[in-house]
Amino acid sequence: MSGVDTASLIVFALVAVLVSVLAWRHTRSTTVDFFLAGRRTGMITNAGAICGDYLSAASFLGVAGAVYASGLDGVWYATGFAAGFVPVLLFVAAPLRRLGTVSLPDFLAVRFGSAQVRVAAVVAVELVILSYLVPQAVGSGVTWELLVGRGIAGLSPYATGIVVSTLAVGGIVVIGGMRGTTWNQALQFGFLLAVAVWLSALLWAGGFSYPAAVEQASAAPLRMVVDDRLVAVSSQLSGAPARFGDPGARYSAIGQVALLVTLVLGTAGLPHVMNRYFAAATGRAARTSTVWVLALAGGFYALAVMLGTAARVLVAQRADEPWLAALTVDGVLRVPEHALLVLGRLLAGTPGLAVVAAAAFAAMVSTIGGLLLAAAASFGHDVVARIWRPAGGPREAVVAGRAAVLVISVVAAGVALWVDPERLLASFPSVIAAMVTWAFALAGSALTPAVLLGIWWREATARGAVAGIWTGAAVAIGALVLGLVIGPDPSGGLSAVLLAPALIAAPLSAATIVVVSRRDTGPPVSDRLWTRMHGTAADRQAERMARITLRGRR
Amino acid sequence: MARREVGYGGPDGPDGAGGPEEFDGPSEVVAVARTQRRIALGYGLVFVVAIGSVPVLSLSLPWWSTARLLGGMSPSFVAVAGGLYVFFLALGVAAARLARSVEDRMLGIVPGGDDPVPDR
Repeated sequence: MSGVDTASLIVFALVAVLVSVLAWRHTRSTTVDFFLAGRRTGMITNAGAICGDYLSAASFLGVAGAVYASGLDGVWYATGFAAGFVPVLLFVAAPLRRLGTVSLPDFLAVRFGSAQVRVAAVVAVELVILSYLVPQAVGSGVTWELLVGRGIAGLSPYATGIVVSTLAVGGIVVIGGMRGTTWNQALQFGFLLAVAVWLSALLWAGGFSYPAAVEQASAAPLRMVVDDRLVAVSSQLSGAPARFGDPGARYSAIGQVALLVTLVLGTAGLPHVMNRYFAAATGRAARTSTVWVLALAGGFYALAVMLGTAARVLVAQRADEPWLAALTVDGVLRVPEHALLVLGRLLAGTPGLAVVAAAAFAAMVSTIGGLLLAAAASFGHDVVARIWRPAGGPREAVVAGRAAVLVISVVAAGVALWVDPERLLASFPSVIAAMVTWAFALAGSALTPAVLLGIWWREATARGAVAGIWTGAAVAIGALVLGLVIGPDPSGGLSAVLLAPALIAAPLSAATIVVVSRRDTGPPVSDRLWTRMHGTAADRQAERMARITLRGRR
Repeated sequence: MARREVGYGGPDGPDGAGGPEEFDGPSEVVAVARTQRRIALGYGLVFVVAIGSVPVLSLSLPWWSTARLLGGMSPSFVAVAGGLYVFFLALGVAAARLARSVEDRMLGIVPGGDDPVPDR
């Protein structure tokens, strides 16, 4: 590791710790303050923090890696990730915030008036968080391996990256709570976007032409590295050799639809992203933040796709350089997730690699922070304060949330250490993006149907919601396990659906909620609750107070 | 014009947000929720048709994948790598504006007042 690499990591760590300590000084030991930053997060800050939460290792390293490995079919990851916020804006953002709850399980429990719904939702949320944390930790290991290249305390470089990132972020969240995590996430997203723009500017300054690069990358059939040798990629649509700019390198038609549905539905069920909406000042602010997210995330993903394309061309052109030869086989990267890191070094030397690696860590750290905070909220508030010890008070909930952060950090690091990304690469060319898709599948199948029907269908009952959450979770997990056992099939049909199962699990969950609710004689949602969720009285009140405060300052 | 009636406002939130000055009537809110649901479903349908048309065109219209618009970029590549992001943003801006305008028109209006959120 060079001096520049060390300096970039030290600066990055110092900024994160400084922000957390500053936030800690402003954070009181109350539920709303620790978990929701006092519900006073500004619209643009919240949009930046949502992007920081959402744009994880899968987005930064994974999208560029998926484009590098699969061309146009890899681009669908970026499209699906960005598209997920459209349903959030249309159906979820404002009512979710207006109910005034603390976490996703809390929202569902209050809407359905049921402790059983809370328990089912907490289980689903913790499963989603764990399955989302593991690929982030894997990404940390992969980045540390390439940037630092050596381990500490007898650990391998890969294991060191996992242990350092998860434990460090766990500490940051414990200290800073939602306020520190929000500030860190907004800053880290700004850094991430700046790095993507900087790399793009370097490319353009060097005479890079995006259309010409697509043409060049599509000139020869796509190949990937499996067991240290190059293997031609066949089109899932035609069986002919797949090309970079054409559809079919990774997905059949049904596979593409399954991926899209999973990513689009999954976003509205991601606990760490939805928790951001509870921190918005009003329902309208939550909705407007989502518009900002669509702009910021769309811009970021468009750049990430271009950078993945550039990596495909430039790596092949400069594969003779000794440092790059060790990472490639005949001009093709062994690990597609290295695409952006390698591009940084190709464009700006070792400092370029250090800056991109720091951005990759920023992406992972901000997402891990959001996930741990969501775990803390669902455990501290939903399990301890609402179920286990309701008389314990908010201070006890915050302490329990902090303890949950440390426990989940250790469990996620343990699972990530057990996962061997090299072994998975043969089946999943873009392994981080694929693993994140599994978390989206679980969220979209177990939680999104209950959230959507809870918001928009008054007749949805608690029994229906419980049955729907369990059905969605069971079908999604069963499909994912079956898909991993049978592996990718040549036709790309069955396994593609099994590995992105929201296409089947979410409709089954929704149908279960509808059927059970129809047969249920329980009471529908009250006028009081429906009015709070869909009315704007609290928004108007908050806006009026903000105007009065502004006038007072003048 | 919507009438202010006995109803429920912000102070009911578990966090105690809001104050007693603003109220929404249940029947007004039911009407708003129905209108918002209709709007969201309409925009949602446009979203599904737009995003679904890309893979459908890839299967049904060879030109969509084989023609070259910009250098080596097919119409399919241009749509997926850039065009859809612009579309998502335009759809989001339009939907958010309409949703807000519906809320302003249907809720929080006092008889005889022009300002939907009057200052006191």
